[in-house]
Amino acid sequence: MHDAVIVGSGACGGWAALELTRAGMKVLMLEAGAHIDPAKEFHHKYLYEMEYRGQGKPGLLRRYAGSERNYRIMLDNEENPYTTAPGTAYRWGRSRCLGGRTLHWARATDRMADYEFKAASLDGYGMNWAVTYADMKPYYDRVEAFIGVSASRDGFPQFPDGPFLPPMPMNCAETIFFAAAKSLGWPVCHRRLSQLTVAHNGRPPCHYCGNCVNGCDVGAMFNPIAVTLPPALKTGNLEVRCDSVVSHVRMNKENKAQGVTYIERYTKKAVDVDARYVILAASTLENTRLLLLSAKGGLANSSGLLGMYFMDQVGAPGVNGIIPRLKGGPSRLDDGKAAGIMTPSFQNIDSKTLRKDFIRGYMMNATGGQTEYPGFAANVPGFGSEWKKEVKSRYVAQARVWIAGAEMLARKENFVELDPEVKDAWGIPVIKIHMTQSDNEYKLVEDFQQRAMEWFKKAGGEIMPGPATPAGFPGAEGSPTANPAPRQSAGPAPGSAPKRRPLGHMIHEVGTARMSVSPKDGVLNSYCRTHDIPNLYVFGGNAFPSTGDKHPTLTMMALAARGCDNILKAER
Amino acid sequence: MILSRRELLELAARAAALPGAAQFFPAWFQAGAAHQHSPAVVAPPQPPFLRDYKPVFFAPEDFDALQAFTEILIPTDDTPGAREARCAHYIDFVLQAASPELQKQWRSGMAALKGAGFHKADAGERLRLVGAMAAGEGDRSAPHPLYPVYRLIKQQNTFAFYTSRAGIIDALEYRGNSYNASFPACNHPEHKVSI
Repeated sequence: MHDAVIVGSGACGGWAALELTRAGMKVLMLEAGAHIDPAKEFHHKYLYEMEYRGQGKPGLLRRYAGSERNYRIMLDNEENPYTTAPGTAYRWGRSRCLGGRTLHWARATDRMADYEFKAASLDGYGMNWAVTYADMKPYYDRVEAFIGVSASRDGFPQFPDGPFLPPMPMNCAETIFFAAAKSLGWPVCHRRLSQLTVAHNGRPPCHYCGNCVNGCDVGAMFNPIAVTLPPALKTGNLEVRCDSVVSHVRMNKENKAQGVTYIERYTKKAVDVDARYVILAASTLENTRLLLLSAKGGLANSSGLLGMYFMDQVGAPGVNGIIPRLKGGPSRLDDGKAAGIMTPSFQNIDSKTLRKDFIRGYMMNATGGQTEYPGFAANVPGFGSEWKKEVKSRYVAQARVWIAGAEMLARKENFVELDPEVKDAWGIPVIKIHMTQSDNEYKLVEDFQQRAMEWFKKAGGEIMPGPATPAGFPGAEGSPTANPAPRQSAGPAPGSAPKRRPLGHMIHEVGTARMSVSPKDGVLNSYCRTHDIPNLYVFGGNAFPSTGDKHPTLTMMALAARGCDNILKAER
Repeated sequence: MILSRRELLELAARAAALPGAAQFFPAWFQAGAAHQHSPAVVAPPQPPFLRDYKPVFFAPEDFDALQAFTEILIPTDDTPGAREARCAHYIDFVLQAASPELQKQWRSGMAALKGAGFHKADAGERLRLVGAMAAGEGDRSAPHPLYPVYRLIKQQNTFAFYTSRAGIIDALEYRGNSYNASFPACNHPEHKVSI
């Protein structure tokens, strides 16, 4: 019998392993995907070093998503299908490998503020969180101090500061956008990233190669295989089993979780493991899928709310173009930090900033300068040497404003369930997603697009047609190898407009087992423990009663840290 | 901040003492000041597979015409062009594995180009025809009948060129994808003042 079994090795699973093993608990971690060795898997590659220049051989990226560079750390869509309700679409970005999606994440490490934890009190919609910022602050501090977050301390009440490492310098376009935002009277700051600017806890600083989304070869950005799992393994209290696909949680007669059953990925042999605590940390939707698989009607579902209130922040195309005064400048390393600057939300954050036409908010990002591929080039008129010169001149002047994610309202009609017909490669029923956007999300996106244009113009930007991968080529929009669509998807939701991105694009899925003070109102308590089963914890985005407008990963990790404290308190 | 070689040495010596740094620092230091050098010095060579590639999708006369077209679009001048990047070869390579729909689109396009006399035209006539085809980019009210063929070739050729070493490194001098000791901050005071 293990003290705890953790299902999943991503941000939350890795953190739980670190906390519990350091406290002396014997922990088994089960990862459905493969072991990853950064030294072998992650290296710098230019587009020209790959046969298909990043787009993958036709068919490859339908199966794996991602790019030719990083598909190995993505998920095999043929092994792991999912479905969506008729007439809807949802792109579920997934990984199955040791470390999970943090191997290629955008590294945004944001604290939520009280206006988000208490949003229902401000605008009357939905439910407040069962925790406040004061409850979360010690855990934000703990996680940030350990993983290392580079940022400036800005003092914005809507975007609390932490024990930050020095921020990364701004490039020319970012400097211009920064001045423009100030000029507009908007709050503006560096993006807050778990990407080291100085050596920290035995890890080297970032070397600004810009390959973060392909896996960091030196562990300068946060991911479990570089940051949380090595010290957890060093305790001698952690055992990691990869290629172990958990099928369900097993219960005992005392209404406690007995352990889990997993299926060996390649032999397909079922294995039972027992533990005093079961921690699901396999990602929001996989956690909920496991709860749904573990009992008729769903495990820990006395509230009837398991699977309900599924949310994912909403994306939308921003503004692309150039800043003409940067044209023709010298070649500079502009995209090496893969970062940018941002404006924290400044609407609907208190009673003085309430909008009449929508509730909640969004954050905006901006950056610019050279990128490996000049996506705009094919849209520059002309040809010949003059055209080449014009492309190069604009190359260093590129600029863009994009959305960091707009809040999606919690609605009961957005939910997930088990698909009664479709199963994965191990015979386990898959998840079926029911999700559409509400009018509020459409209004948020419209407001973002107006503000983005305002920011871009204030910076002196000139709009250009967006990036263009050749139509029909591998990976291009509409091509056979475009990003994979789920089975049974019937395409975009009725009435959707071209300016909207597919749901799931942000990869910020949360909800489906929300936290609540009362067991009647949710599945989890404020420690992410199920109300119904005292030794069953769920770490990830499941607990979120609302998305907030910040990137969710830091809050997920802080909730995991808080949940682990609760376990250790019970152990004492 | 750009560090001097001496500063890099000192930093590397201090940081190399950190646990976990042993594998990283040799590579980091070797190219630690990448942004002080030309990208052409740091970037690896183009892999050889296109050098010996024999076209399999296009018939020889179509391939020759395509190659000429790509070189008009992206000529060799003070930097390499489509010829050095072997853009026509790359387009053939991608198309031989592409969907039947895309293959059909290209075969139709090349047939139309042949019908317009491009294949047998001399260099001057070819340049004039490409210029006429391209006019639709400026005035879309009355585009040339072969404007879609021009756009098809231009799009794929642009991708082929700017994903090649000739395009990324020699023409654009891209500096990313390298080991750097620091990130170069904007050093233009005028950029800090909004316009």
